[in-house]
Amino acid sequence: MFLNALTRILSLPAVGLSRIPGLGPLVRACSTSVGQKIVMAITGLSLCGFLVVHLGGNLLLYAGEEKFNAYAHALHSQGALLKVAEVGLFSLFAAHLGLAVSTGAMSRMARSQSYAMKESKQGIFALPAGGASSWMGVTGVLIGIFVITHLLDLRLKMNPLVKYPAPVAAAEGMTPELNEFEVVRTVLSSPINAVVYFIGIFALGIHLTHGLRSAFHSLGLNGRRWDSLLKCGSLLFGWVIAAGFISLIFWSFAVPR
Amino acid sequence: MSGDLLNLTLRIWRQAGPNAKGAFRDYQLQGVSTHMSFLEMLDVLNEKLLQAGEEPVAFDHDCREGICGMCSLMINGQAHGPDKATTTCQLHMRRFKNGDTIVIEPWRASAFPVLRDLVVDRSALDRIIQSGGFVSVNTGNAPDGNAIPIPGHVQEVAMDGAACIGCGACVASCKNASAMLFVAAKVSQLSLLPQGHPERASRVIDMVAQMDKEGFGSCTNTSECEAACPAEVSVTHIARLNREYFKAMLITEK
Repeated sequence: MFLNALTRILSLPAVGLSRIPGLGPLVRACSTSVGQKIVMAITGLSLCGFLVVHLGGNLLLYAGEEKFNAYAHALHSQGALLKVAEVGLFSLFAAHLGLAVSTGAMSRMARSQSYAMKESKQGIFALPAGGASSWMGVTGVLIGIFVITHLLDLRLKMNPLVKYPAPVAAAEGMTPELNEFEVVRTVLSSPINAVVYFIGIFALGIHLTHGLRSAFHSLGLNGRRWDSLLKCGSLLFGWVIAAGFISLIFWSFAVPR
Repeated sequence: MSGDLLNLTLRIWRQAGPNAKGAFRDYQLQGVSTHMSFLEMLDVLNEKLLQAGEEPVAFDHDCREGICGMCSLMINGQAHGPDKATTTCQLHMRRFKNGDTIVIEPWRASAFPVLRDLVVDRSALDRIIQSGGFVSVNTGNAPDGNAIPIPGHVQEVAMDGAACIGCGACVASCKNASAMLFVAAKVSQLSLLPQGHPERASRVIDMVAQMDKEGFGSCTNTSECEAACPAEVSVTHIARLNREYFKAMLITEK
């Protein structure tokens, strides 16, 4: 009953979209189990693209205060473009999450009575699937919690547990500006945040090891020429991204003030 | 030789009918030969139950040669038991040890309602096949074998999909009770062969729609189905189904 109601509610955006003239047939094709997975794959891969850019920007922290602040300033002065990008990112995230819940509910309803005993012919850590694929929901929730904290910390700069550095004017008579480099360092080196960020990013790593490969699979983009490459590449991608972000937590403690 | 005879505890799901409440019941079975197949062991149990005036355990079976796809059973939590690429009828009691407890459950999926004991209704799979339509084959004189050239490797992959016996082990073993491997095996083999091309786009759209209508779950690319499949149908067929669907959705007329 509950799951039925949940899928009804989650299908409302699709119903709304299908009312737009010309979009109906496409939205309906995207609403089947396979169609939903295709959209999930596209949104997931787009979010992977965002992660790469985000990590690239963040690694400028290693280049020093000046370079990072220049990057942050350039990014923040995009104005309307930045707003569009933020709305776009939020939509990708919301769609990915909504479809995960929707397909998850579909699967939950597909087995009303569970087994008294269930074993697998795959190893627990069968690479790349068996292990991570059973943890997509859990890691997804952890990533969600992390993203909310992260937005509160650095987008809204409203985390009550963090003592943000005061804005400083670069020269006499200029408007005081936040030193983003200092802000990031302060946020990351707050002990509670360090733990939350570590767990969130670790979960992200697990999520990506299955997610990347699974997305390609859902889009039907596989073939014997590069199947094994995709398996290894997915594992590597997940852990490289995670290692990159996690390294910044350690950096925040190590960097001299 | 005592090593050739097993004393077993069988924990079997008993359910009188589709709407009856089911429960596990334990049965002791003595002196089971290790040369018996799993279904022969159940036959022996049923003989004893009949002699004792009890209802025998209902279970599906037909050819007992591993080719018809009729036998099912979740044995100790594994579809068709612990062996790879093996149907329940081809599983032998030498796989078990004296004193073992064997848990036997029916396939569990909302789309496979239990009819009685270990028998489930798998007609949902038949309806998916029906929704795929038909393949046009001329009757009359046998066509020339080389009239439609098909590359050897394509024919091989199509045959790997056609090896599906429709037993439902993929659905039973999937954590989402998804029928994707079954549907993919059907869609994939016909999309590979020229005879299947006329209805290619409509077939995948219609079969996926019917699969959803029957109440199967969605695919999370966990590959559990491939591991459980007695015909060793590969998950690459699922990727091919996804590809066919994506193409049909974006660039074909239907």
